[in-house]
Amino acid sequence: MSSIDRRDFLKLGLAATATAAVGIGMSRIPLPMTATSAEPEPDTIIPADEPAVIARGDHDQPSPHHWVMVIDQSKCVGCDLCLAACHAYNDTPPNISWSRVEEVEPTAEGRRVFRPTPCMHCEDAPCVEICPVGATYHRYDGLVMMDYERCIGCRYCQLSCPYGVRHFNWEAFTGPNPDVPAAGHPEVPRRPRGVVEKCSFCVQRIDRGLAIGLTPGFDPDATPACVVACTYGARLFGDLNDPDSPVSIALRQRPDAYRLKEELGTGPRVYYLPAEPALEESAS
Amino acid sequence: MTLIRRAATLIRHNALPALRQPIYRWMLFLMCLMAVGVGAALVVFIKGLGVTNLTDLVPWGLWISVDLSAIALAAGAFSISAIAYLLRRKELQPVARTAVYVGFVGYSIAMMMLLLDIGRPDRFWHGFVFWNIHSPLWEVTMCVGLYFSVLMLEVMPILGHWQPVEHRFPRLSHRLGSLHKLTPYLAFVGLCLSTLHQSSLGLTYGKLVARPIWYRPWPMAISFYLSAIVGGMALVTFISLVSARLTPRARVNKVTLDKLAYTVGWAVLFLLVLRWWDLMSMPVDYEPAKSEALYILTRGRLAFNFWGLEIVLGMVLPAVLLLVGHFRRIERVRILALALVAVGVVAYRWDTNLVGQLVVFGQVPGSDVPLFTNYTPSLIEILTATGVIAYGLLAVTFGVRYLNVIDHGEVVEAPAKASVPAAVVPSSYR
Ligand code: SF4
Ligand code: SF4
Repeated sequence: MSSIDRRDFLKLGLAATATAAVGIGMSRIPLPMTATSAEPEPDTIIPADEPAVIARGDHDQPSPHHWVMVIDQSKCVGCDLCLAACHAYNDTPPNISWSRVEEVEPTAEGRRVFRPTPCMHCEDAPCVEICPVGATYHRYDGLVMMDYERCIGCRYCQLSCPYGVRHFNWEAFTGPNPDVPAAGHPEVPRRPRGVVEKCSFCVQRIDRGLAIGLTPGFDPDATPACVVACTYGARLFGDLNDPDSPVSIALRQRPDAYRLKEELGTGPRVYYLPAEPALEESAS
Repeated sequence: MTLIRRAATLIRHNALPALRQPIYRWMLFLMCLMAVGVGAALVVFIKGLGVTNLTDLVPWGLWISVDLSAIALAAGAFSISAIAYLLRRKELQPVARTAVYVGFVGYSIAMMMLLLDIGRPDRFWHGFVFWNIHSPLWEVTMCVGLYFSVLMLEVMPILGHWQPVEHRFPRLSHRLGSLHKLTPYLAFVGLCLSTLHQSSLGLTYGKLVARPIWYRPWPMAISFYLSAIVGGMALVTFISLVSARLTPRARVNKVTLDKLAYTVGWAVLFLLVLRWWDLMSMPVDYEPAKSEALYILTRGRLAFNFWGLEIVLGMVLPAVLLLVGHFRRIERVRILALALVAVGVVAYRWDTNLVGQLVVFGQVPGSDVPLFTNYTPSLIEILTATGVIAYGLLAVTFGVRYLNVIDHGEVVEAPAKASVPAAVVPSSYR
């Protein structure tokens, strides 16, 4: 487990006492976290019974990747295949869905429109900023991670998330998972009762893929389960730093892509392609 | 067998006659509530938070409101101590002693509630070890923890003067009593820590962009801080006056308390202006979730709480009763007014906590309708909260009865023997 060493403690202590109440809350200095190895462990098999130790981020280093998900609302039919895959691969309890698929306003011609909402892995994530114990944090590549060993279950992050994608484990998940094996096999251990969980962009798949030389977004084995499961190709994933990745191409082609509640300044990593392209707007 | 028989005699000769006195009945009643509360708490620990009516949309409910209220009403400890020791108003020093005890009880209530409320009570210490200095909640955790230690140091001399301690362990009692020397310094530390966490509690809500009705960092921090001071001072004065009416063991200085009540009157008026300004400074044009929340607060489900408990009963009425000398001089009226101030602060905390959760932000800009949610505490939540509050009342009763926490006659150095008439010392100590 990574932990803050004694000197960091002292430094933090001094910083904390020297800053006024509101000042602390409003400041935005990145929190120094000890960087364990920035590279993921080369490990092809993901043990489902061991808690995944994920490297905490080192924000001084620019990340080599900029993971992004693009969701094409013109293709999504609201079939929930992505949710079934997520339930299976991330072994979530039946009453918790890391993504939700909601029906939103229909198009002008009356075609139904759906909007899948996973965790946005915000660049300036409110949940990361306010978690009192740092149990939710930015990984080296900017993905927002949960440390289930550290979370105290205060549920403050649930209040802070503008997208409502955080779920509390009100009870322990003990029974069989109804989506296994039909939709896939668990790749991560179950979370204990009393902690908050949320979509992880399937980091276990990304890390495993990178370790064996696959490219997330192209190779199904290195791509989030929901993206792979979508038979309609409504979900795309990839590295925005790579101009040839599916997400870069999609966002280049569709300048009308939008993000949810951009005005809040959270910097979501999930882009949506509207069901009806706003041609006039993109032309101007 | 003999043990049972002895217990039976004890009950017949001591407990049953004692129960004829209302004070023992009151204490027994509180203990029963506590016992039920402990049972309910066990259910929570064993079965988890699934037994509550909390949901992912309303994750903070009754318990948090009890927490916030207890911490707010405990603020008399730091504010009266600061006035007494830092502004050197000597006449308030004995009142500060009462306030510190009440504050100690308040914070212990808050700690118990919090322990129940977090999903992993076994990790309660994580806040002290894993730091996220940007989180207002982390700051609250640290300051509350530290301030609780300060309160413990301040309460030690009071415990040292408890009769059994003084009789059986005179040296320990002396040691504890000598901690009293620290009081002025502790008053200073307490002022700093309390200022930090009382305002950070407001910021805990005020910092959340996700909930537009809360998202007012400064106004939230300031109104939490000031309302805590007002509520805390009102509660201490209230408890002192009520106890003085009920038992000769509470000795108060009416002149000092009258002055305090008058101060509370002005403060509550100021609070009213502040709350009004805070609400009125919100934009009038439609803003998703914020407008709906304001509607809930002023005309919807929370309207009675807001207009009735917070504004009229909690601020306007007590301000009138405490500021018009004619009313204030009637003791019952004064007591009522002070109680109302405390009720108003509790209502403010409850409303604030709920108003941001009863309506959830629309998800797509301009398209989704905000979602209205629902929350009514479950029986288990109510029973545990009642149990914890009963503990608080019992602790205060105990303090008044056996620890002489309300002794405002003069600064007494060794009060125990002199101030407890032998006739009313429980027979077991005689
Ligand atoms: S979507 Fe919510 S949970 Fe995900 S990073 Fe943003 S604030 Fe955190
Ligand atoms: S519930 Fe867990 S992750 Fe969320 S804020 Fe509390 S400690 Fe952090």
